[in-house]
Amino acid sequence: MNRKSIVELNQICKIYQQGKLQVTAVDCLSLQIAQGEFSALYGPSGSGKTTVLNMIGALDEPSSGDVIIEGKTLAGMDRTALSRLRRDRIGFVFQAYNLVPVLTAYENAEFVLALQGVPIRERRQRVMSILEEVGLADLADRRPDELSGGQQQRVAIARAIAPEPAIILADEPTANVDSATANGLLDLMENLNSNKGVTFLFSTHDQRVMDRARRLIELKDGKIASDGVSP
Amino acid sequence: MNLFSYAARNLRRSGQRTCIMIGAMGFAGAIMIFYAALLEGFIMTTEKNAIGMETGQVQIHVHTYLDDPDIYSQITSQDEAMAKLNRLGYHSAPRLFAFGLAAAGSSSSGVMLRGVDTEREPLVTGIHQHVKSGNWLDRNDPTGVVIGQKLARIIGVGLGDEIVIVGQAADGSMANDLYRVRGIMKSVGEGIDRAGFFMIQETFRSLFLLDEGCHEIVVVPSKNTTKSLDEMTAEIRAAIPQYEVKNWRQLRPVLARIIDMTSASLVVMLIVTYAAVGILTLNGMLMNVFERIREFGIIKALGMPPWKIFTIISLEAIMQVSIASILALFLAIPLSLYCEIHPLNLSSLAPDSATIAGIAFDPLWYCDLTSNSILLPLFFMFLFTVLAILYPALKASLIQPLKAIYHR
Ligand SMILES: Nc1ncnc2c1ncn2[C@@H]1O[C@H](COP(=O)(O)OP(=O)(O)OP(=O)(O)O)[C@@H](O)[C@H]1O
Ligand SMILES: [Mg+2]
Repeated sequence: MNRKSIVELNQICKIYQQGKLQVTAVDCLSLQIAQGEFSALYGPSGSGKTTVLNMIGALDEPSSGDVIIEGKTLAGMDRTALSRLRRDRIGFVFQAYNLVPVLTAYENAEFVLALQGVPIRERRQRVMSILEEVGLADLADRRPDELSGGQQQRVAIARAIAPEPAIILADEPTANVDSATANGLLDLMENLNSNKGVTFLFSTHDQRVMDRARRLIELKDGKIASDGVSP
Repeated sequence: MNLFSYAARNLRRSGQRTCIMIGAMGFAGAIMIFYAALLEGFIMTTEKNAIGMETGQVQIHVHTYLDDPDIYSQITSQDEAMAKLNRLGYHSAPRLFAFGLAAAGSSSSGVMLRGVDTEREPLVTGIHQHVKSGNWLDRNDPTGVVIGQKLARIIGVGLGDEIVIVGQAADGSMANDLYRVRGIMKSVGEGIDRAGFFMIQETFRSLFLLDEGCHEIVVVPSKNTTKSLDEMTAEIRAAIPQYEVKNWRQLRPVLARIIDMTSASLVVMLIVTYAAVGILTLNGMLMNVFERIREFGIIKALGMPPWKIFTIISLEAIMQVSIASILALFLAIPLSLYCEIHPLNLSSLAPDSATIAGIAFDPLWYCDLTSNSILLPLFFMFLFTVLAILYPALKASLIQPLKAIYHR
């Protein structure tokens, strides 16, 4: 029996105009991500991983083809609707400098919930329990510059999962941290996936991430070169 | 986390730049408030000298007098006119004028003889308090006269010295008599300084054989009034239609223009100064926005609506300009109040008092801290800050998150 489909890409292309040159970053790519997946896009630099994630995250639009999130086609949605969709249904973890520097870990983690207008009491409860889960309850009052790179990424993960989005898009989340920290972050995300059913889609060069991912999608020149459940 | 504390924390984060911007805005604001207070003081002093010492608010003459100030061009029914004015709520005083020659020793000079009603004149001008040395006129001293300070120098007389006056009386005969200087005026204006020769009305009448009538009636409202100058002029004109009624702006158009231009020059100075400060603000806010462009990209990606980002940046600017305003007030108000009592002394630049275009300018430059001199500079400071942040704020709020996140 099929699980619910979260992301559906139908023949999407992304063509950048660079001067007179046309760069095809994503070339007629189709892909489905189902609820509860823990998948990774990998491939050489410039193969289109970030571009695909940005289109799924409604930060970028394809030159042609359809992006469908939880059954809704993004094409034709206005800016406000796209902004809502990002706020409510998508969690982002960027490579680095994810956090708002003047806000504490707690405030960063509650950022999206505050935008959603979740009442302050409920917000406090949810954010504190999530910070507990990512192991940062004691550091809630620290600013990003008082946290290590790995701790900052944990705050970013906390912020991403707090609104209970449909999917979390993480573009090379381990690229800027050392090996031990990377493993810690992966443990955390794996646990969130298996215990809470949070759907993750990574882009990565990192062998450790590929070792953990349960589905590996290889990109080459903007096309899917291989797609399979990892052994 | 509310927008207010977000904005405040951002200001604290770039603390040094924030301080420089607030300092620059506050200092410019303080200077402009002080400058505005000085201009208000200048206008006040100039008006006080010209209108309060000499011209009054409104003057009445026979129609031909101003073009041809002839001793025969007299207002004959002055008592009736002054009674009417009194009922309308105005003080008034009659004046008599004649040309003559003043001689002392071997020097002589043409003078404008002025017959003063010593009871009524103090109701309309403050000239009786404007004596530099000696005393003002006194009815018990019919041969005592008060003269302008330059005239005293020209003919070389001091207090107690005698002056011979020669003129033509109303009947065509030669009028001459001997007078004694009992007072010398401070500077009032070129006319009085060079040729002012004041005597009591009775002495004037007997010298020129004028039994009745006067040449000029000076009018001021007897109490504070909300009527405008034009309204007062029209009211008096309606009450006394047989004579020519003109207000000080019509009588002294150069003075009126100087005062108007002084007010206008404040606005010009405000625009020039704040345009410079505004560019500094714009630069600071642009740096602020570009430094944080990635941050704006990320919070927009997370779903922050543009208006909230606009609000954050506006709040940052408004907080800065508010603190700058308080700083400006703290600097400028004590300084201006001090200069209300201790004027800037320009007498080393302009010995005695200078007259320009016949108008006396007091070498002691007082401040007059009016609500206008505070509010106008602050208003312009807010206005220019708003203009300066518009571009950076729009830029930050409308930026595409993707461009901002991958901005290098
Ligand atoms: N804004 C842009 N303008 C022009 N070309 C772009 C733009 N963004 C990406 N590209 C091009 O699109 C292609 C795919 O880029 P993308 O960033 O998706 O690759 P990637 O797989 O994420 O690479 P990396 O592993 O280095 O992050 C590249 O050839 C890149 O040069
Ligand atoms: Mg990439």
